[in-house]
Formats: sequence, C-alpha cells, structure tokens
Amino acid sequence: MKIDKIILKNYRQFNNVEILFNKNENQDLHVIIGKNGTGKTNILNSINWCLYQDEPHLSKDSQILPVVNLKTIKETNNNQLQKVIIEIWLTTENNQTMLFRRNGLYSIYKDENKVIQQTNYLEIEYTDEDGDTKFLEGDDADSFVDRVLPRRIREFFFFDGERLDKYFKEASSQNIRHAIFDIAQIDLLEKIEKRLKSLSRELENDAGRLNPEIDNIRKELEKYEKMYENTTLEIDNCNEQIKIAKEKIKELTNSLLGVPDIEDLEKKREKLKTKIKEKKDFKKRKAIEKQNLLFENGTKLLVWDCLKNIIQIIKEKKDNKELPPTHDKKLIENTIKNKICALCGQEIKGDSEKVLTNLVNKTNIISPEIAADLLYMDGILNNFEDRVKKFYKNIKEITEELESYEKDIMQLEKDLDRIEKELSGYDIEKILTWHKERKHFETTLDINNQKLGILMAKKDSSRKNIEKLEMKLEDELKKEKKLKELRIHLDFCKKAYEIINKTKQNIMIQTKEEIMLETKKIFFQLIWKKETFKDIIIDDEYNINLIHSMGYECLGSISAAERELLALSFTLALHKISGFNFPILIDTPVARVSDEQRKNFGNVLIDISKDKQVILLFTPSEYSEEISNILDNKAIKYQLKLTTDETETKLEVL
Amino acid sequence: MVNKPDRLYIDLKSRPLYEKLESEPFFKGKTRKEQFLFAMAVGFKNNIKITIEKREGIFLTKDLKPEDEALINAIAIFDANSIDILLDKAQVFKIVEEYANGGIQILINKINSIEIGTFEKYFEKDLFDLNKI
Repeated sequence: MKIDKIILKNYRQFNNVEILFNKNENQDLHVIIGKNGTGKTNILNSINWCLYQDEPHLSKDSQILPVVNLKTIKETNNNQLQKVIIEIWLTTENNQTMLFRRNGLYSIYKDENKVIQQTNYLEIEYTDEDGDTKFLEGDDADSFVDRVLPRRIREFFFFDGERLDKYFKEASSQNIRHAIFDIAQIDLLEKIEKRLKSLSRELENDAGRLNPEIDNIRKELEKYEKMYENTTLEIDNCNEQIKIAKEKIKELTNSLLGVPDIEDLEKKREKLKTKIKEKKDFKKRKAIEKQNLLFENGTKLLVWDCLKNIIQIIKEKKDNKELPPTHDKKLIENTIKNKICALCGQEIKGDSEKVLTNLVNKTNIISPEIAADLLYMDGILNNFEDRVKKFYKNIKEITEELESYEKDIMQLEKDLDRIEKELSGYDIEKILTWHKERKHFETTLDINNQKLGILMAKKDSSRKNIEKLEMKLEDELKKEKKLKELRIHLDFCKKAYEIINKTKQNIMIQTKEEIMLETKKIFFQLIWKKETFKDIIIDDEYNINLIHSMGYECLGSISAAERELLALSFTLALHKISGFNFPILIDTPVARVSDEQRKNFGNVLIDISKDKQVILLFTPSEYSEEISNILDNKAIKYQLKLTTDETETKLEVL
Repeated sequence: MVNKPDRLYIDLKSRPLYEKLESEPFFKGKTRKEQFLFAMAVGFKNNIKITIEKREGIFLTKDLKPEDEALINAIAIFDANSIDILLDKAQVFKIVEEYANGGIQILINKINSIEIGTFEKYFEKDLFDLNKI
C-alpha cells in the first residue's frame, strides 16, 4: 500500500497544499525538509487527524492554535464558517484506490478570538475487488479505517525518531508485550474470556439460590478468587517493577562502563586540594621565616669584617685592662689644673703633680663615655656573633624544609592533575546522578524481590484454598439433582474458559516467535556490521536480547544508530506479521544518530524503501551532509517554507 | 660630647630609590629604618660612601634600638679607625648616612639587573659565598 497524495486544505500551517508521493524507479522514498515551525510534524498529525480525528504529535506551540489555517481565519469575516479538509489518497498492492477525506466545519468568531468546531466527519471512497466504486461515511467509515490500519497499532507506522531511540531503552519488555498483544489482535478472545467468567458466576449464583451451602462456599470461593486475582496483579506489578529496575540497572551500568568512580575521585580531588593548600600555606610561612632570617642576619653579615674587628678591639682593650678604664682622664686633668684633688678636695703636693701628669699623658686611657659605649656594644656584638654562627645552620634547615614542601606540593599536584585528567571529558553531575539512580534502582529491586516472595506465598495459599473450595462446591453441586442441568452449563463455561485462555497464550507465544524471527531477519539484512552480532532473542518475559558474536548480551552497549535499527527492524517485523502494509512515516529519523552513523542509517532507509513506501521528515540541520549525500539521489525531496507573514506554509519539490 | 642629632638623613635624590625598594618582595613590609640599615651595610660591604648633597630626614634616632646603634657605632669606628669617633655622634651618623647613600644605589642597580630569579635568591647566594663564619 502506498500514499499517492495528501491534500491539506486550511489545516494549520497549510492553506492549500498537495503533496504528491510519486515513486522513483527503485525506491519509494520521500524526504520532507522543514525548519521548526513550518508544519513538518503537522503532516504527521494531519494523517492522524484524517484517519482517527486526533493529533497525537502536536507541539506545545500548535496546541494553543486552532486547527484552521491562520491566513484563512484572517481572510474570513466574523461569524463565518470555514472548512478544513485532509485527503489521503492510497493505492493498494492490487491497484485498488482509496480516498480518505476528513471534513471539519468550523465557526470563526473573530470578535471573541474563538474557532469552534461545528461538524467533523470522515468520508471514504474506494474501489472494491470488482472495480466498483464504493462510498462510506460515519461508523462504516471508521470501521473501514480500523480494517486498513487499526488505531491501536498506528504508532508503529507514524512515529517520531526519538521513539526508535527510546524503544529498547525504557521498560522494553512492557513495550514488546503490548506491541505483540496489539498485533496478535486477541482482544476478541479477551472479551470472550471475561464473558465466560461472568457467565460461570451467574450459574453459581443460580445454584446458590437452590442450596444455601453452595452460596456460602461460592462466597468464600469468590473471596479467595478475588484475593488470588489481586495478588496476581500485585505480582505482575512487582515483576514489572523488578524488570524496570533490572533494565535500568543494566542501562546505567552500561552508561557507567569505563567511567571512573567519580564519587571517589571527587573526594580524592577535594582532599588533594585541601592538602595542597595546607602545604602551600606552610611553605609560605616558612618562606617568610627564611626571608626575615636573611634580612636580619644579612645586614650583620655584610659588615661582619667590621664587627669582628670591633669585637677584637674591645677584647684587646679589656685584656690590656683599658676597659673598663682605671682612671678618669678628665678628673685627673681637672686636679692638675686646679691643684686640688677633684675627689677629696685636698691640695696636691710634691711629686703628685708629676705623677698625675705622666698618668694623663698615657694615650690609652679611654674616656668614660667611650668606655660606656664600647662595653655596651661588646655585649651586643658578641650576641650577634652567636646568632650569625647559627644563621647558616638555620637557613640550611629552612631551605631543606622548603624543598621538602615543594616536592610534596609537586607530587600532590601531579596526583591532582592525574585525577583531573581522569575526570575531564566526563559530565560529572550526570555521572553522579547515574550512580545515585543506580543505587535507587538497586534498592527498588531488593524491596520488590522481597515483596515478590511474600506475594507468591500468598498466591499459592489462595490457589490451594480455591482448589479446596472448588472441590467442596463440586461435591455440593453433585448432591442436588436439581442442579444437574446447571452443572452441565457450568462445566461447559469452565472448559471453554480454559480453552480460550490457553488459545490466547498460544497466539501470544506464536506471534512473539514470528515477530522475533522476522525482526532477526530484517536486522541482519540491514545491519552494516555483519560480523558483530549473532542472534536476537525475545525471551518468555518479553525482554529483547541482542547477542554479540562473542556470546554475551550487548543491547545496552550498542550505538544509538544500532539501537534505532533494532527498533526499526522490530517495527517492520510488526508490519509484516500484522499484515498491515501501510507506509512508514518517521519524523526526525536520525536526530539521535551520530554523524558518522547517519550514513549507515541512511542506507538502511533506502533498503527499506525498496519494498515499502518511506516518508521521512527532517529539519535542515538534521539533514546533514552525512545523510544528504546518501539520500539525495535516491529520494524525492520536498521543502516546507513559511511565508513572510508566517501564516502559511508552501511546499516546493526540490 | 657633641650633641646627638635627633634624626638620620638620606639624600633627597635617594627618596625615590627607597620607594622603589618597597616594590621588591624581599623588602616588603620593612620600615624605612630597616631599609636604611640594609643600604648602609651594602654600602659598607662595597666600600662606597657618597656624600649627601641635599639632606632629608628618614627616621628619628629615638627609633634606633641598642643593636642598631651598636652596628652604626661599629661601622663608624671602623671607618674612622678610632674609637674617639663615638664622642661625635653627628660624625658617626654622617659616616653611616654616606654608606647608606652609596648602598641604596648599588641595591637598586642590583634589583634592576636581575632577569632570572629573585633578589632574595641572589642575596642568599652572596651570603653563602661570604662564608666567613
């Protein structure tokens, strides 16, 4: 099946646009490029709106705007009606044509700034196997859509590229189980199963009215069945939580693979920083101590020759008994001059004057002022000598200490540098969050494992009680002849219920097997690394496992492009198994794929388009050189351009 | 004894040199008296005395500690080759002022000529070269 054209009239950015999807010789590949805001994603919405009357991919900006095109609203008078039409033209493999046309009628209240929908209906025009044209509308039209592409599986045909990236990342087993359930179309069996269950209840009620004991047993049985059912639900929920936790732990462990223990490194880094600061402070204080020592002693050392000389002079004078002086020269001079002793006041007589004159003429008598200075200096200079002697020893010790600090700091800085290099290139905050999240999921896993044990025991005990009560009920029913007919009916219902339940399980298992095989076939056909992977397994718990050629499970460690390819293969397998061969339409298909992998992914899309119509929606930046080099010659390209007043988007075929 | 002057002097022209000295880390936080005594020691070591042309007070003699005075007196005695110089404090101060005037210029020249390393490193090396104790 292929889309021949889509016509958008008055729908959002599109005033009147017709997109023709002509097939190239070998591929049916179409690339629509549009900047954000040009209505690229609204093409995806228009298909949904036409077929299912909803717009699941509506952006926040579009949500506040009316469905009716803004230019149309501008040109419409107040209180007038406007029609929004989307037409999808399809051709099937048997060359039958189909036209889906959704008409929406809207009242434009310009004074109130409101657009209100009046009517909305779908019309279908198709050619049947005999070539006759048929028309459908209302419920018939909706049923027809459900036969062409059921609403519940549309998300496997029209989707956002991000979905491919996330599909096997988040609760994948849940996604796979739902997908298989949808594709297997076993909802009818589910309905029968429920009906049979309620029918059994009604028959038991009837029996209970005839025999009160039966009613009591039935009530008791109902209680345990309810308990069993609730416990089963709780177990399912618990298992789901365990699966999610396991998947998350696996995913986070893979993300953290090769990533250093950031928390530990961060602690070490902080410790090193503190140590370096401490050492630097010590070093600074020591350097100041050394500087002061050099300054203080340096002054003395520079004049050391002089100081030594003076110390020697003073020493000699002391040795010669000149210091302290034995005579006061001035006192003697005054005595000679006044002829009266300056000490006792008596007149000097005889030889005394001569003796005193000889004494005063001696050159080595030091005046008291000089003597006082010299004696004072003597103590200080000798003290200098002691200090200077210790100086070299002290300075050597301080220098060694400084060198030791320097060495320590260098080593610490080296360690810090190593840690910082190890940490560089990592988003530390993100990694710490990963660690935190992993811890959280590990706790969740522990709690749920414990809870599961308790619930399993509870379920087992409920089951045993149910079996016991069922036997009791059976016995009671046997007692009453009147109940014979009721019993036959009841047995039939129970048997039928068992068969339906088993059939349902079998279909699920069979569908799962088929999808698994088809996914494997498509994936290995499309993957660019032919030797890297060995197998794809969907296990009993609906977990998908990609097996590396070395034998280990590697889904968590593959690239975004490989993961998207796996999701795409799974999606295409669903198409095949479901039997709905509708085209595939992907918005932003390579947004999560790295530049170097876009080439590979582009080739995959070309391969797919050989058997199936593929419509891709890109932003100009996403349609990078890597992907455009691959797709340009194979795809038909369209460009969406917003008019200058931004009320309308035009389409150009490139 | 001749009256003791109340302050020590530098040459007016040397004032900027003392200011410059402050920017050298080794002399950071040192008082003018400490700077003067250091310059005096450098001048004495290099045997350079420069007469002061225009005097400007640098610090008061009351700020001299006994050990500063001992140092000054020793240089003056050595320079005058007589202990009697101690009776003339004005002369004692004149001698050390001239040494300081010579010393400060040597010091600044030395600081300016350093391209690699610090003054402290050079000074430490000089002291070890003296190795006289």
